[in-house]
Amino acid sequence: MNIDVQHLAKLARLRIEDEKLSKFEKDMESIVSMVEQLPDVTGDASGLDPEHPMKLREDVPAEDKLSRAELLANAPKMQAGCVVVPKTVE
Amino acid sequence: MELYEMSANELSLMLREKKCSSEEITRSVLDRIKSTDDKVGAYLTVCEENALSKAREVDAKFAKGEQLSPLAGIPIGIKDNISTKGVLTTCASKMLYNYVPPFDAFVIGRINAADMVITGKLNMDEFAMGSSTENSHFKKTHNPHDLDRVPGGSSGGSAAAVAAGSAVVTLGSDTGGSIRMPASYCGTVGLKPTYGAVSRYGLVAFASSLDQIGPLARNVTDAAMLFGTICGHDSMDATSADREYPDFAGKLNSDVKGLRIGVPKEYFGEGVDDSVKQAVMNTVRELEKKGAEIVDISLPSTKYALNAYYIISSAEASSNLARFDGVKYGYRTENYDSLIDMYEKTRSEGFGDEVKRRIMLGTFVLSSGFFDAYYKKAKLVAMKIVEEFNEAFGRCDIIATPATPGTAFRLGENMGDPTKMYAADICTVTVNIAGLPAVSVPCGKVNGLPAGLQFIGKKFDEQTLLNAAFAVEKLYGEARPVNV
Repeated sequence: MNIDVQHLAKLARLRIEDEKLSKFEKDMESIVSMVEQLPDVTGDASGLDPEHPMKLREDVPAEDKLSRAELLANAPKMQAGCVVVPKTVE
Repeated sequence: MELYEMSANELSLMLREKKCSSEEITRSVLDRIKSTDDKVGAYLTVCEENALSKAREVDAKFAKGEQLSPLAGIPIGIKDNISTKGVLTTCASKMLYNYVPPFDAFVIGRINAADMVITGKLNMDEFAMGSSTENSHFKKTHNPHDLDRVPGGSSGGSAAAVAAGSAVVTLGSDTGGSIRMPASYCGTVGLKPTYGAVSRYGLVAFASSLDQIGPLARNVTDAAMLFGTICGHDSMDATSADREYPDFAGKLNSDVKGLRIGVPKEYFGEGVDDSVKQAVMNTVRELEKKGAEIVDISLPSTKYALNAYYIISSAEASSNLARFDGVKYGYRTENYDSLIDMYEKTRSEGFGDEVKRRIMLGTFVLSSGFFDAYYKKAKLVAMKIVEEFNEAFGRCDIIATPATPGTAFRLGENMGDPTKMYAADICTVTVNIAGLPAVSVPCGKVNGLPAGLQFIGKKFDEQTLLNAAFAVEKLYGEARPVNV
């Protein structure tokens, strides 16, 4: 199958350099032709395990264990206690 | 014997008999890191100061006569995708090259509460995607048994450190074999617990329905002790099981009389080295002599497991790794002129090629028009695999297979061809798909390299698995650090 690597990259917010494109195309085609060999199985694919149901936490506000400064310490760019990103609205 | 060569179980006893201090043990391990790690490359971060201060704190507690956990004062290394407060957690990716978590993973909370001494963070394939640790952005890890060979992956640093003696025990993570496979290549014990037995809170997510944290050690007792320390319910992980666990290490028993060992023919077919099959079968026959019963079983959907695994795990990864966008933490590209431009450049520069392939495969199988043919089909195959295991466990107590289709390959050998690399996971992926526990235990050497036997168990029956592995260990002896 022909895989449109540039299209997939765009969907996944990736860019593939031109010099690597043909290698990526070849690899993706061989990976897809490997994984597509699957039998026809019918059934419901919900995948839920009735023996071990998931348990959600109570819907209550979390106790704030971390300070704003701790949470923002990893941000690449900050100004006035806020994360800086490029302009998103014209 | 030097302190770094001892097992956690032996050191635990020595600490209580005042034959050594935690500081002496920790220094011995730190010295071993210094003398071997330029060759092995297991560590990404060494926490010398923190480790020594924790060790002294534990020694003071012992001196005061406090009752401490069996693993108190024992050094441990941690895979670099497990969040450690205040200590770099990079997932061996440029994307997280500078990321310092503001919180501890659940398992790190348990390790700290048990007064274990963290010596550092260990190398891995980037975001745990790979089978050789060659996908690390930072460095290659070498197999201590043969430095020209890979340690396996993705928890390659965790396995290599244990094998080299630069850690007494380690934590790894296993999504498709990432604990068991490197354990097998490096001649160590590695346990992938039942899905839900160990909280994933603070483990950087790869494929959330498959990921589990587990122990690597030089012997079964140490692995059982560490597993007992990290398992248990955590409300921060919605898939965490709420149940009681036995004292695994205290209940270890190598008597296999009456144990029904299933041998599935599909794991002894094409694609698995004859010498590995032989090492595994010889071991199973030895257990038969000790009273175990061999049952021939069949798991016919095994041949589709690898395909289903790569579809499901990549689909989940493409969603999980969407969070890495250069906004709130980690790497951000230098120059950009719009938000989309920043996202695309950050992700293209921050992720390595294998991570990009998996994200694109996941994007592909989830995209409209392909979802039913790939993702849905893979989930149905996964359910079929679960059914076949359930049926098999009606006739046997555990299942024995090779842990890997071969022994450790050479660095660079499989790097050109992703599908060849993926095939190294052929014996291990079914276990993650079915959410079962499995252990890899050394079963002798093949052409001078360690071979691993995998036992697969019923859900939450780690005790039977560990007992069987303990019986295998009695045949071959406990591993000790190899000369590097």
